[in-house]
Amino acid sequence: MRNRVREQRTQQGLSQAELAAALGVSRQTVISIESGRYLPSLPLAFAIARFFGLTVDKMFDPDEEEAGT
Amino acid sequence: MMAFIRPRLRKPLGIAVAGTVFAAAWALRGGTAWQLSVAMEVTVLVSAVTAYVRAGEDNDEGALTGSRADERQELLSLRSRALGWNFAMVAAFIGVTAGVAVKAIWWWPFLVILAVTGFGYLLGLSNYGVAEEGTADDTDTGHQVRSPASS
Repeated sequence: MRNRVREQRTQQGLSQAELAAALGVSRQTVISIESGRYLPSLPLAFAIARFFGLTVDKMFDPDEEEAGT
Repeated sequence: MMAFIRPRLRKPLGIAVAGTVFAAAWALRGGTAWQLSVAMEVTVLVSAVTAYVRAGEDNDEGALTGSRADERQELLSLRSRALGWNFAMVAAFIGVTAGVAVKAIWWWPFLVILAVTGFGYLLGLSNYGVAEEGTADDTDTGHQVRSPASS
């Protein structure tokens, strides 16, 4: 599953640590989500989408494979 | 009660308390066991301090030791514990089988471990899902209930 977390984060000029603090998760979890190694729970997926002002289906695309996975 | 203890201190304190109780049990044996008890207590205190230091690290292990794990880290811990229990069950099965085969007197502790892990698994099923299945909401509509697996 491909996601746009890294793209959105870099567009807003945020570091992984800053995004993690805003979402209430660890920096390691943000790294895992961005690389596609971890699929977040539904509440966290909604929190991420809301944080960037997008819908969940815009943030996470189940039809596209993560590059390099 | 745990809420009154700072998250970073919870696991180190748990190690210190459990280790001290175990060391005290050795001291109660009497004889020369008190020397082992003292060595054990020193090891326990070193372990507790090490856990406190690691709890401050910015990694998954630090978050788990510092009782501040997020959902991914909790899942990581849960999977690791499940793997540990699987190993324990396999080891216990091998132990009880070998014990029975050689007519040893030490087979029953393995059976206890096997029973406890099996009971824990059934308790988990009961607590975390099987009892909450409920009934399908279309049971009286005349429609065939479809399993997601068959769709």
